[in-house]
Amino acid sequence: MKKIWIIAVHEYLGNMKRGGFLFSTFIMPLILIALIALVGYLSAQSAIGSDSDAVGYVDQAGILENAIERPENFSAYASEEEARAALDAGTVSAYFVVLPDYLRSGNVQLYNTGGGTEALNDLIGAYLVANLDIGLPEDVQVRISDPVADMSILTLDSGRIIDESNIFVVFLAPLVFVLVFMISTQASSSYVMSGVVEEKSTRVVEILVTTVRPIELLAGKILGLGALGLTQLGIWIIAIVLFITLGRNTSFLSGFSVPVDLLVTSVVYFILGYFLFASIMAGIGAVIGSEQESRQIAGLLGLPLSLPFFFILSFLTDPNGTAVTILTLFPLTAPVTVILRMGFGTVPPEQVILSIAILAATTVLAVWISARLFRWSILMYGKRPSLRQMIQAVTRNHDMQTTATGDRAG
Amino acid sequence: MSETAISVKDISKSYGSFRAVDQVSFDVYKGEIFAMLGPNGAGKSTCLRMMLDILKPDSGTISILGGKLDESRKDRIGYLPEERGLYRNVPVLEVMTYLGTLKGMTGKAAKQRAISLLERLELGDVTKKKVSELSKGMQQKVQFAVTILHEPELIIVDEPFSGLDPINTLVIKELLLEFRQKGGAVVMSTHQMFQVEEMANRLFMINRGHAALYGNVNDVRAQYALPAVVVEGSGDWNALSGVDRVEVRSDGEGTTARPGAMLYLKDGVSSHELLTEIATRPGFEIIRFEQAIPSLNDIFIRVVDGDSAA
Repeated sequence: MKKIWIIAVHEYLGNMKRGGFLFSTFIMPLILIALIALVGYLSAQSAIGSDSDAVGYVDQAGILENAIERPENFSAYASEEEARAALDAGTVSAYFVVLPDYLRSGNVQLYNTGGGTEALNDLIGAYLVANLDIGLPEDVQVRISDPVADMSILTLDSGRIIDESNIFVVFLAPLVFVLVFMISTQASSSYVMSGVVEEKSTRVVEILVTTVRPIELLAGKILGLGALGLTQLGIWIIAIVLFITLGRNTSFLSGFSVPVDLLVTSVVYFILGYFLFASIMAGIGAVIGSEQESRQIAGLLGLPLSLPFFFILSFLTDPNGTAVTILTLFPLTAPVTVILRMGFGTVPPEQVILSIAILAATTVLAVWISARLFRWSILMYGKRPSLRQMIQAVTRNHDMQTTATGDRAG
Repeated sequence: MSETAISVKDISKSYGSFRAVDQVSFDVYKGEIFAMLGPNGAGKSTCLRMMLDILKPDSGTISILGGKLDESRKDRIGYLPEERGLYRNVPVLEVMTYLGTLKGMTGKAAKQRAISLLERLELGDVTKKKVSELSKGMQQKVQFAVTILHEPELIIVDEPFSGLDPINTLVIKELLLEFRQKGGAVVMSTHQMFQVEEMANRLFMINRGHAALYGNVNDVRAQYALPAVVVEGSGDWNALSGVDRVEVRSDGEGTTARPGAMLYLKDGVSSHELLTEIATRPGFEIIRFEQAIPSLNDIFIRVVDGDSAA
């Protein structure tokens, strides 16, 4: 047991220092956070600008003569010429003209020297509304200015409440979690495979198998790299929380909250999914022992992970369909499917439980098979065993095979 | 003899219908270098792998340091595999420390011992270099250092000198002799027969799965001694009554002797009697007179060719 620990620590620290790990763990979330911070900063800047810059207006419709609720930076001009002169002189950065037929047509002309006008449009709209509904009861005035103050959308399948302000969560959060999950699982389980392949191709394994039992070697690797994957996941979860907190100031992330159920599910599925993929990759790595092929196979194994994306629309439109149910229960696609569906609020809890149970059982089986394959083939170089030999090795628990046996039994 | 390090009793191993090792027994003692010889495919590697618990014998028992090779005994042995290799992209000292801790050392002890061994091997300045940056000879030396890093009681070294230049060969040889001097047991598999003659106390040779030779190196050679003597000097060798036939040799082929003549003795005549005859007859001058003992190389070839001892 102590040797498993030594191997796990070695794998954890050794792979942590890899350039690829450091980049994917730290640089990617940093870039993400930096982008969001930039967007937040820019939108805050433009908001300030629209508040303070002086804006002139000319009321040709006669509705603003005794204006109320005039924004501080708005000032009235008697004629368009005066307003134009003020704009040219830089006294105002924009002016608008409420045309004579405004009450009938709603026509307003805005003149400015360039730049964003969205915030200004809202401001002008609110100013006009405030002056149009004079005389109406106050509560009606309030409703006119803000007809849908709080909208709740209830999705009938799950009862999950999606309100207007977090509509982005519905699509963004599951996608972010799934991406994080996929990258962590793929990266750490492919480290397991490349580690096995490296030890085999450099023949270090010759020394290792006379020092530790193959099963200890396998266990140490899988545990150490699993811990590394969890570390990466942890760092990203922290980054996501930071991202959301920092992003609150930006218009599109306001009201975005951390979905705790998604967090927990992601971690559970990461642990199970990682063990499944890692043990499959370790078994394959021990058998093939070639770096190039191992990369191709790692890529192939990534396919079932991304398969659920092709069905992403079905998750919303046909959440109880056969395809979605199969994807939810099949162990290789279950993690991504369930995380996506949870985000969309379309997965019944009993399916989650069943899917976790199937995944856990498959993982146990995969670890057992790969331990036997690993032991059997780790000292076999250069010659590829047949599928039949591999099945026999697993079912009969053969001796370790060595290249020496058969072709040069010396 | 001193304490037994390895005791192999009647082990056999078959691959399918092929009997790779058949009823083989031998012992290895502490404080000796024990040579494992045999042509390629004779069952030598299979024997080594069974001793290392990589393969299980079909029958027979192997005792390593007093029992089965369990996890604690694995920490007391060192193995230099024929298929060499270390982690390539890891600094030398880190590789050694890791492998040392796997053998039960503390990280600190492994590091200190690694540094002192590397200095001894004139590799003191490469501790921070990656293994892949070292020359092949340097890598070989590092690998040997890994084998003895944890101060094992028994080491099994497979072709320890392959790929080494004469200077590095000497360095490794010194370390092996020193290891023996301190009471360690060395099992050395090699095809370099002169190294066996120079270093090994005892040898075991396997051929076609069977034990072909086993015992003290000098005894084995003496067992193969020819009924002949090698002489250098002058005189009419044919005239001697004890001589059956004379073979004039231009080189020392087949013996450790320098050029001279090989005198085959008549049945029942000892070399001592021949020497007496030469000494008592005029017209002979002797520079050298020695028993014709074949080299291990010769014995090896004779055994493999199916030539059995006289």
